[in-house]
Amino acid sequence: MKLVRFMDAAYQGKASGRRLKTRQGDMIFSLEDLADQVGEKPTRAEVEQFVPQDKNQLDLLISAHPGKKYALLWGYLTSLAAECCTAPLLLPCRDYAGLELTQGAIILQEAGAHIGERMKGGRIMVQGKAGDYLGQEMEGGGIIAAGCRDYAFRNMRGGYGVMRGDAGKFTGLGNCGGRIAVLGSCGERAGWLMRAGSLYVRGDCGDYLGLLMSGGKIIVKGKAAKRAGWRKKGGSIRAESYGPEAADDLLGLD
Amino acid sequence: MPDPRKKIQLLISSLEELRLHVGRKDLAIGKEKVNAMLFFSLANACLRGRCVLLYGGIGANKTTLVNLLGSSFLSRTLDEMEDLMVTGHPEQTEEKIVGFLDPRQWTAAADAAGSTQVLWTDWAKSNWKLINEINRFPSGKQNLFLEILQKRKISYAGQVCRPGDTCYFATMNPELSATYPLDEALLDRISACVPAAQPDFLAGLLLSEREREVRDLAGMLPRLTPQEFACLPEKVAKRTLTSQVELAILCLIRDFTICERAPAYDKTQLSGSKPSLGLCSGCHYHNNPEAICWQIDEGLSDRVRQDLRAFCRAFAYLLDRDADLPVLKAIAAYVIWHRTTSLRSVLERPPYYGVGKLAHVAMLVEKSINRTMNERAEMNLIFSRAVDGELAGAQAIEILSTFDDPIARLDYIPALEQM
Repeated sequence: MKLVRFMDAAYQGKASGRRLKTRQGDMIFSLEDLADQVGEKPTRAEVEQFVPQDKNQLDLLISAHPGKKYALLWGYLTSLAAECCTAPLLLPCRDYAGLELTQGAIILQEAGAHIGERMKGGRIMVQGKAGDYLGQEMEGGGIIAAGCRDYAFRNMRGGYGVMRGDAGKFTGLGNCGGRIAVLGSCGERAGWLMRAGSLYVRGDCGDYLGLLMSGGKIIVKGKAAKRAGWRKKGGSIRAESYGPEAADDLLGLD
Repeated sequence: MPDPRKKIQLLISSLEELRLHVGRKDLAIGKEKVNAMLFFSLANACLRGRCVLLYGGIGANKTTLVNLLGSSFLSRTLDEMEDLMVTGHPEQTEEKIVGFLDPRQWTAAADAAGSTQVLWTDWAKSNWKLINEINRFPSGKQNLFLEILQKRKISYAGQVCRPGDTCYFATMNPELSATYPLDEALLDRISACVPAAQPDFLAGLLLSEREREVRDLAGMLPRLTPQEFACLPEKVAKRTLTSQVELAILCLIRDFTICERAPAYDKTQLSGSKPSLGLCSGCHYHNNPEAICWQIDEGLSDRVRQDLRAFCRAFAYLLDRDADLPVLKAIAAYVIWHRTTSLRSVLERPPYYGVGKLAHVAMLVEKSINRTMNERAEMNLIFSRAVDGELAGAQAIEILSTFDDPIARLDYIPALEQM
């Protein structure tokens, strides 16, 4: 018997031209499974493609401890979960919560590093203090925290960030948009290389406030330490008082 | 002679009416639902040289069911059937099971006799062989059955007993304190393994209505004549498998057996390394839920193909329907699951929870058959055209290389390259 005839008999002329489906993510029960499908450093689109449609399954994934290995995956999953929740999503203290969040709300009691990184919308409320890189590269939405460590709102392009307490060093580094309000004090080099946007500090600032800034607006209600506006090329800095070796074109609060 | 199927149908209804077997209808074949344990046993009784293993907890009606069927198919009493079976325990020997040398041949009266005389046991001479509690035989003694199962004859001390075509049945309990694990080679000789569950609520209620002894009721079951019993394999063989079933069986076995990293792409060649021990780490197909190879440790032997074909036909005969894809889909998992080991990391997840091996294999079977009948159509047609010379081999290889399917890559392309 000819093989073609055998195949024709088997398919009875109904042979479709469909190719094999591969990498269909219907067996994702853990972060490890998801990482097998998309890798450990995926894009949000890749994660979205494989994320379980079942909310319980998504909750199961979020409840797992990601460790450092699957922190990015966990971050994307928190955003996807928050976006489909009507109520704010309560999360434990881990890194990358709200990664590339576009809508919805997340509440954290304490927060690790990289919270709200590259977020485009929505709200993140941190009831305690956040870690490093809070709101890094954010483009929209808002973050409110009791305080934060270093590099908060680095390369920020839009949205707003409010620190109800103190911020660490390098706040608003390289910003080209967005608004930052620190109700406590700032560490050194706040507004470093700032190009646009605004930074408001109710307390004092450390050394090198607005170092090499080329645009944007910094207002400090308290005292700026030494070398404020050092090698500044543009933008404006206003403070109650300045330390030694401040730039010439700085303004007072009046 | 009337078709014995009607008598078998009467037997099925009698077993239920007499409350001799009231198991749940847990096997769906198309729209029809039947009891897997009963129908696999009946199918085996219609075949020859196959072995069905009934696997389940104590008191799940495994041994009694086989003996009841034996009494009906061989037209013997239940007591006779019970005397016929062998039961596993560490003191069982080949002499007790098969036969022993006749001591009288060495007496003066018989010393003129020529060849060695063996006294064969009734079990050895019977063509209905039940091995009860097979996993209570110690591992070494289980090897005895490697030679016996699926064979038409038994040899001992240079003598041969020829009982002819035989129906083999075995029962076993899950791992208990006095049981031994079954060897893979022995499991491969078992055609189908069927779980035997305890009666559910309604079945228990029905059983409580049974007030007479089983052996009394057994006498009321319909009996097949020796001619009817003998003609069953012929009746079954007349059922032809559809081309779809033939193709699905071939692809199903390749799906389980093929492995990119195994010698000759054949998982049955593996020793030591296997998917559960990290063989598939980094493989293109690893963790792809559409691929079956990485989810199962063992490949399937050609016996599986034979068993699938035989049981498809037998079920088609019993249910008086075509031996088509719904039949294959229903029975294939029972033919495969005891021969394989599912990847633990997959099996331990929901919905299997470490115990749903049959369900996991059933899912893989369903997936393989569906793929063969849908997504694989194009590549199968290309391959068949190339084999028949309607398409240039080089062109077919080029097209087939775009298919991300283990069978296309590891079976079809190498085959075309050699042509």
